Amino acid sequence: MSAYTTHITDVLVVGAGLAGERAAIESASQGLDVIILSLVPPRRSHSTAAQGGMQASLGNSAMGKGDNTDVHFADTVKGSDWGCEQDVARIFVETAPLAVRQMSMWGVPWNRIVAGKKTLPDGRDIEDTKDKEGLITARDFGGTAKWRTCYTSDGAGHTLQYAMDSVVIKLGITVHDRTEAIALIHDGETCKGVVARCLRTGELRIYLAKSTVIATGGYGRLYGASTNAVINEGSGMSVAMNTGIVPLGNMEAVQFHPTGMVPVWILITEGARGDGGYLLDKNNYRFMPDYEPKKKELASRDVVSRRMIQHIRKGFGVDSPYGPHLWLDIRHLGAKHINTNLREIANICKNFNGIDPVNALIPVRPTQHYSMGGVRTNKDGYVYGLKGLFALGEAACWDLHGFNRLGGNSLAETIVSGMVVGKKIAEYTLGASLDYNYSQVMGFVKQQEERIKNLIAGKQGKENIYTIRREMEQTLMDYVGIFRNGPDLQKAVDKLQELYRRSLKIGLHSDGKWANPELATALRLPGMLKLALCISYGALNRTESRGSHAREDYPKRDDANWLKRTLAYWNEGSDLPTLKYEPVTITESPPGDRGYGESSASSAGDKK
Amino acid sequence: MFVQKTLTRNPKAELYYDLVELFSGFLLVGFLWTHMLFVATILLGSELFNNLSAGLDKYYLSYVGIPFIILVAFMHIFTAGRRVPTRYQEQKIIWRHAKMLKGTDTWVWVFQVITGVSIFMLGAIHVWVVVSGWPIQAMTSAERMHAFWWFYIILLILGEYHAGFGIYRQFVKWGWFPRKPIGYISKLITVIILSLGIAALFVFYTMAKGGGIV
Amino acid sequence: MSKRKLTFSIFRYKPQEPDAKPHMQTYQLEEEMGMTIFVALGRIREDQDPSLMFDFVCRAAICGSCAMIINGKPKLACKTLTRDLPSTITLMPLPVFKLIGDLSVDTGTWFRHMSLKTESWVHTSKKFDPKAIEEKMDNETALEIYEAERCVECGCCIAGCATANIREDFLGAAGINRVGRFMVDPRDERTGDDYFEVIGSDEGTFGCMALMACDDNCPMQLPLQMQLAFVRRKIAQAGLKAKTKVVTL
Ligand SMILES: Cc1cc2nc3c(=O)[nH]c(=O)nc-3n(C[C@H](O)[C@H](O)[C@H](O)COP(=O)(O)OP(=O)(O)OC[C@H]3O[C@@H](n4cnc5c(N)ncnc54)[C@H](O)[C@@H]3O)c2cc1C
Ligand code: HEM
Ligand code: HEM
Ligand code: SF4
Ligand code: F3S
Ligand code: FES
Repeated sequence: MSAYTTHITDVLVVGAGLAGERAAIESASQGLDVIILSLVPPRRSHSTAAQGGMQASLGNSAMGKGDNTDVHFADTVKGSDWGCEQDVARIFVETAPLAVRQMSMWGVPWNRIVAGKKTLPDGRDIEDTKDKEGLITARDFGGTAKWRTCYTSDGAGHTLQYAMDSVVIKLGITVHDRTEAIALIHDGETCKGVVARCLRTGELRIYLAKSTVIATGGYGRLYGASTNAVINEGSGMSVAMNTGIVPLGNMEAVQFHPTGMVPVWILITEGARGDGGYLLDKNNYRFMPDYEPKKKELASRDVVSRRMIQHIRKGFGVDSPYGPHLWLDIRHLGAKHINTNLREIANICKNFNGIDPVNALIPVRPTQHYSMGGVRTNKDGYVYGLKGLFALGEAACWDLHGFNRLGGNSLAETIVSGMVVGKKIAEYTLGASLDYNYSQVMGFVKQQEERIKNLIAGKQGKENIYTIRREMEQTLMDYVGIFRNGPDLQKAVDKLQELYRRSLKIGLHSDGKWANPELATALRLPGMLKLALCISYGALNRTESRGSHAREDYPKRDDANWLKRTLAYWNEGSDLPTLKYEPVTITESPPGDRGYGESSASSAGDKK
Repeated sequence: MFVQKTLTRNPKAELYYDLVELFSGFLLVGFLWTHMLFVATILLGSELFNNLSAGLDKYYLSYVGIPFIILVAFMHIFTAGRRVPTRYQEQKIIWRHAKMLKGTDTWVWVFQVITGVSIFMLGAIHVWVVVSGWPIQAMTSAERMHAFWWFYIILLILGEYHAGFGIYRQFVKWGWFPRKPIGYISKLITVIILSLGIAALFVFYTMAKGGGIV
Repeated sequence: MSKRKLTFSIFRYKPQEPDAKPHMQTYQLEEEMGMTIFVALGRIREDQDPSLMFDFVCRAAICGSCAMIINGKPKLACKTLTRDLPSTITLMPLPVFKLIGDLSVDTGTWFRHMSLKTESWVHTSKKFDPKAIEEKMDNETALEIYEAERCVECGCCIAGCATANIREDFLGAAGINRVGRFMVDPRDERTGDDYFEVIGSDEGTFGCMALMACDDNCPMQLPLQMQLAFVRRKIAQAGLKAKTKVVTL
C-alpha cells in the first residue's frame, strides 16, 4: 500500500508483556496468524520487573492449608473495596491455579516446598509435610487470608516472562519489537488495526488485522515518583481513548506501593514484608500494629500506604533531602534468607543506595505503582465501543481489581486474562473477516504524518516537551496522590488542562529525523496529559473514599451513591474527558467490611 | 545452511578438535615441565644429568619420546592454532578489543597466541640443534648454553608463559576448579619452573665458561 | 563537598544518515548525589541534546536494556554510579550487536536468534492437563535452574568476548548458559544427543576459548565460568556417546 509498509494479519497484539504474549499464544495455537508489536524486545517488558509473585490458591504450603478459590475470591473482592466485577473475579480465581501450573510446565522454576518444621520471624511454628514436598510453594502477601503467592525467589516476573516468550518463540510468532502503535485505525464501529512508528528507523507502518489487542501495560510514568519502567507511559490507553468512542474505566484508581525505595523509587517487593519484614519510624518503632492490629504490615497496599503517610504526617518520618520517609527492616530475616529468597532486593539496595539490607535499614515511602484503571472491557475482554478491539493486562479495566489490586494478583491477571480473553479473541477472529477501506486507512496514516511534520517544523508552537512533562509529573504528585481533596484536585485539573493545551503547541528542538527520541515523546505527551486529566477529573468527581481513592473531604465509602465505575470518554477537540458511570457487577458478595483499613463502610476513617 | 557444507560437515569434528587440543596441551605442558626438571638435574651435578640422558636413551625413550612429542606438538598447533585470527580485520578487532576492554584473560590469550607462534619457531631450532648434536651430554649442552644463553632465556620465558597459562586455561575451560585458585597455582608452578630453568642455565653457563670438564 | 563537573564523551552515529561519520561528542554536566548514568543521560537529553539515542526500560538493573561500554567496560548504565568513575566518562555502544543509533543497539534481535538456535524452550511430549496438579520438583533443582535463568540478556558477556567479536555465529556465554539452564531442568526431555546437535560446535560450547570477559563483566554475576565448563563437559560426554549422523545421498 503506497509508500508505507503494510502488514496484514489475523490478530495484532500491541504489547509483548505477559498479557499480550499469553493472548498471542492462544490465537497462534489455534492456527491464526499473529503479529505482536512492542516498544522493546518482549523480555524487556515491564512484566519482567515483577519480583514478588503470582497468586493462585494451590494451598500446598503449611500456611496455605485450607485455601481455595472461594477464599481467593473473598480476598480479591475485599481488596478491591467492592469495586471489582465479581463475575470476572470468579473466573479469575478459578483459572489462576491452572495458569500457575501451565507456566510451571512451560518452564517457570517455581520455588518448591521443602518438608520440615520452621519457625517464622514472628515466632509461630509451622510444618510442611512430606507428602507436599516438591509441590509449588507460596509466600505471604498483603490482604490475603492464606499464603497464596507463588514465586521464584524474587524473580517471578522475570521467569514468567522468559517462559512465556520461549513459547512465543517456539510457536514462531512474529514479533516486531521497537515498534510503537500511535493510532488505531477504525471506521467508527470496527477496529481495523493500527498505525505504528518504527523506533529503529522512524518510518510509519500500517498494520491491518481482524482483531487488535491492547496489552500495553500501565501508565506509572505520569507520576514523578513511580516504581514503573520508563516505557510505562500509558500509550496504549491513550491511543484507544483518542478514538473518542472507547472509554477508560476507573482511571482515578491509582495504586501506591508502600515500599518504594527513597530516592530512586525502585520497588522493594511486598515479599520483603510477606517474608517477615517490618516498617519502622524515626524512633525505630514498629508502628503498623498500632494501626492495623490484625494484618499489621500486611494489610492491603492502599491501607498500608495511607497508614504510612498518616504516621509521617504525625511527625514520625525520618527527614531526608528527598522528604520524610520510613524504614523497612528485614535484618532479622538473616543473611541466608536475604541473599537467596530476596537476592534481587539485596542487589537493588547495594547498587542504588550503597546499603546492605542484611545489616542496614532500607528507606522507603509509598510510591505510584499500578493502574487499576484502563481500557474498559466486558468480561470477555471486548473493548467497549469498537468491535474487533480487545484489551487485557494492566492496560485494561477488565475490572478484577476495582479500587485496589492485591499484590500478586496482577501477574496472575495478565496470564489468566491471556488465557480467558485469548480464547475469546481467537473465537472472534475465526469468525471475522478483514475488510477495510483504502482511503480511510490512508487518512489515519496521513494524519500521523501531518502531526510529525508539524512537530518537526514547530508549526503549532515551540513548547518544550520536557518542561511540560515535568510539570505534569509534579502536578499529579502534589495533588492526586494518596490522600486527595476537592480543592487540590481542582487545582490539578486546572493545571493539567493548561498543560494539555500547551502540549498541542509542542515544537521539537532537535531535527526529529529517523528514530528521534524527542519526537517519540512529543507524539505521546498529549495522550499522557489526557490520561492525567482522566485520573484527576475522575477523582474530583468521585465524592467518596474507596480503596486507593482516599478523599479527605469524603472519608467514607458511599455504596448508596458510588457503587459504580467511572467511564471516561474523550471527545475530539475537548480539553476535559466526559464522565459516565456504570454499575458494578455484584454476584456473590454484597459490600461489607474489609476487616482491615479504616473500616471502610462504617466509620469516617481517621483524618488527623 | 549451504549444501556443500551440509554434505561434508562432520558434526563431531569440533568436539574432536577440542579434545585433541585438551590432551595435546596437557601432554605438552607435562613434557615441558618434566623436561625442565630433567634439565635441572644439572644443579645436582653433571654426572646425574649424563646418567639420566643415557638412561632415557637406553630405554628408547628418546627415540620414541622425541618423535611422539613432535607429533603431539603438531596436533596441538593444528587444533589450538585454528583459533588464531588470521584475517587482517580480525587481527585489528582483537587488538582494539583487548585494548579497549582491558580484560586480563583476553590479554593473557593474546600473549598466548604470540608466545605460541614464537616458540613454534624457536622450539624448532632448539630441537633441531639438540637432536643433530646427539647424544645429550652435559658438556655439549653447556657449550650451546654458553654461546646462545639469550636464545634459551627467551625460549624459557616464552615457553613457560605459554605452558603456565595454557594449563590455567584448560582448567578454567573444563571447570575442574574455580578460576582464582587455579590461577595462583599455575602461576606458582610457573615461577618454580622458571627459577629452576634459570638456575640450570646459570650452572651450564658457568660450567662452560670455567672450562670445568668433569 | 563541592560538586564535580563531569565530562561525558559519547559516541554519536546515526547509520541511516547518508553522510554521517561516527564521532565522539562531549557534554558537561554537574554531578548530583547518587547520580547514575541513567540520570546523567536523561539530563543530557532533556537539557542539552534531545536527539541523543540510548535505551533504558526498568532503570533498576532488571531488564537488561541499558548495557553500554562505560570507560572501556561493558556495564548496565542504570546501575553505574558516576561517583565510582573518574570525572571524564566515555560511553560507547556495545559492539557485536547491530547499531541503531548513538548508544542504542539491537540486542533484542540477537537474543531472539540465540533463543531460536538453542531452542530455548522446554521440550516435552506431555500435554497440559488442566485437572492435574503440578509435577513435583526438588526445590534445590528449582533454585539451580533459576541460577542460570537469572540472565537478563543484556549482552555484556557477548560484547566483552573477543571470540564473539570476530565470529558472528558464536552464541557466547549467554547462549551456552542458556543451554545449561535446560540441561539441569528435568522437565526438558532433550537427550545429550539433542543438546550436542544444538551446541556441540565452534558456534557453541567449543568456540569458547576461556577469555573470561563474560565471567568478569556479567552484571547479574552469573557463575559463568563454572556454567560454561559444566556445559562443555556434558556436551563432550554426550558427543562421545552420540551416534554420528553422516549425511549420505
Ligand atoms: C516493580 C514492579 C513490581 C511488580 N511486582 C508484581 C508482583 O510481584 N506481583 C504481581 O502480581 N504484580 C506485580 N507488578 C505488576 C505487574 O508486573 C504488571 O502489572 C504486569 O506485569 C503488567 O503486564 P502487562 O502484560 O499488562 O504489561 P507490561 O508487561 O507492562 O507490557 C507492556 C507491553 O506493551 C508494550 N507497549 C506499550 N505501549 C506500546 C505501544 N504504544 N506500542 C507497542 N507496544 C507497546 C511494551 O513494549 C510491553 O511489551 C509489579 C509491577 C512493578 C512496577
Ligand atoms: C609450537 C607452537 C605453538 C603454537 C602456535 C601454540 C598456540 C597456541 C594457541 C593459539 C593456544 C590458544 C588456544 C585456545 O585459545 O584455546 C594455545 C593453547 C595452549 N598451548 Fe600452545 N602453542 C604452541 C606450543 C605449545 C607448547 C610447546 C605447549 C606446551 C608447553 C603448549 C601448550 C598449550 C596449552 C596447554 C594450551 C591450552 C590449550 C587449551 O586451552 O585447550 N603450546 N597454544
Ligand atoms: C623434543 C625434544 C627436546 C629435547 C630433546 C630437548 C632437550 C634439551 C636439552 C638437552 C637441553 C639442555 C640444553 C641444550 O642441550 O641445549 C634443553 C634446554 C632447554 N629446552 Fe629443550 N628439548 C626439547 C624440546 C624443547 C621444547 C619444545 C622447548 C620449548 C617449548 C624446549 C625448551 C628448552 C629450554 C627453554 C631450555 C633451556 C633450559 C634452561 O633454561 O635451563 N625444549 N632442551
Ligand atoms: S550472561 Fe550475564 S552478561 Fe551475559 S547476557 Fe546474561 S546477564 Fe548479561
Ligand atoms: S569471554 Fe568468550 S571465549 Fe568464552 S569464556 Fe567468555 S565466552
Ligand atoms: S534499564 Fe533495565 S537493566 Fe538498566
